[in-house]
Amino acid sequence: MHKIIVDNDSIILQNENYLDIEKNKDVTLYLFGEGKTIINVLEDCKLTVYHLGVDISNDIQINLNGKNSEVKYYYSVVNYQDNVLKIVINHNSSNTYSNVYNHGVNVLDKSLRFEVSGVVPKNILGCSCNQENRIINMSNGKSMICPNLLIDYFDVSSSHAAYIGKFSDDVLFYLMSRGISREKSYSLLIKSFLVPTDIDKEKVEDFMVNIENI
Amino acid sequence: MLDIEDLDVIVKEDGKKILNKLSLNIKAGEIHAIMGPNGTGKSTLSKVILGHYKYEVVGGDILFNGQSIKNLTTDERARFGIFLAMQDPITIEGLNNSEFLKTAVNEKTKEKVDLYSFIKELNELLGKLKLNQSIFHRSLNQGFSGGEKKKNEVLQLRILKPKLIILDELDSGLDVDSLKVVCENINEYLKDNTDTSVLIITHYPRILDYIKPNFVHIIKDGTIVRTGDMSLALQIEKDGYGSINNIEEAGLNA
Ligand SMILES: Nc1ncnc2c1ncn2[C@@H]1O[C@H](COP(=O)(O)OP(=O)(O)OP(=O)(O)O)[C@@H](O)[C@H]1O
Ligand SMILES: [Mg+2]
Repeated sequence: MHKIIVDNDSIILQNENYLDIEKNKDVTLYLFGEGKTIINVLEDCKLTVYHLGVDISNDIQINLNGKNSEVKYYYSVVNYQDNVLKIVINHNSSNTYSNVYNHGVNVLDKSLRFEVSGVVPKNILGCSCNQENRIINMSNGKSMICPNLLIDYFDVSSSHAAYIGKFSDDVLFYLMSRGISREKSYSLLIKSFLVPTDIDKEKVEDFMVNIENI
Repeated sequence: MLDIEDLDVIVKEDGKKILNKLSLNIKAGEIHAIMGPNGTGKSTLSKVILGHYKYEVVGGDILFNGQSIKNLTTDERARFGIFLAMQDPITIEGLNNSEFLKTAVNEKTKEKVDLYSFIKELNELLGKLKLNQSIFHRSLNQGFSGGEKKKNEVLQLRILKPKLIILDELDSGLDVDSLKVVCENINEYLKDNTDTSVLIITHYPRILDYIKPNFVHIIKDGTIVRTGDMSLALQIEKDGYGSINNIEEAGLNA
């Protein structure tokens, strides 16, 4: 089940895991925890979601149902057990825009999988559908990224980037050359990787404590 | 301050020899310049002094204030007071520049940074370096111009207050006015910290007009082949490195 903090009172909760985002609204949503969630975004609405957690699995569907609707989805997870993120963005209307940033730190030897799909059906015009998936392995975990762009029309701009690996040694060298210990350097890097820059840090204090403890 | 004795260095990965019995002695308060053709080991030397992970010291030693540092970690060496302004400073997306700086100061002093004086000092330095305040709130070096990156290195230098400053091609990427600003800034620091030493790696004598070296060394094939004064730098600029082999020591010092 999700615990939801709403930055803005324009969200109508129909069901704990069903959300409709009203027309014409800019909404920022903070999601914690795991579960199955469907979010419908209506016309001219800009939705930003920060979804953070430790050891969470999620099945998320975002329906861009209204014209000119946009979603930016930031998913950040610290992984100790086996977990999966499934996220589908359906561009059901023209001129819709999606940007999905999934970042995971896989701490131990367990598996972390991102299945990320962007869907643009036939005759939907002027969409932009983008995803970036990155997993940092701290040990020898089994990390997997499965990006899908299911695009049935030519008039779409889309991009995806994927990375699985360690933090770069050159980056570590730079930080340590400024007198920052290896441990503290890792903690800075993890924080910058998992906490999006524009986030309201007060709303994610628990998560910040969790990443300090990695 | 810095004693490098017969240093042999290889690339860990393939065993390629980069530095060859290189010796260099820098005393407190001295300014040394190193010049040399591309690919002769200048940047490698600067990184090895800080214990870069790609290189292995297979012979000789590096002493800092009489103590061997060759087995210390990079951060330990840095906290001793060695600062390297890098030839190509890296970018770290998402890492806030001011948080990075604050952490570095914290790690060095082991005390919580007094925010008020920290910000005051930063603002003063920004003004002096002619850097826009917005760089604090941006990710480390992300989207910075070449010159801004170099200035950001000098900003870090000033904040961390090193005893040995290594400048690896600080002058590359800086326009003439910026070079002047940056060098004046370093000189201001040196005036207040007279026992701080400097090692300047460069291809051009211009930077040495601002930060005047006591010694100029020429490095070739991973070792220092000649040491002189400023006139050596000017000669290199005029005649190139080819001229070095043809000139007798005596003629050089005349
Ligand atoms: N990690 C490495 N792996 C392989 N070769 C390396 C590595 N680092 C340095 N070298 C080689 O060692 C030599 C010296 O490199 P270095 O970067 O120290 O040169 P430099 O004197 O700083 O040159 P420049 O004036 O072009 O900056 C070069 O031939 C370079 O290719
Ligand atoms: Mg170099």
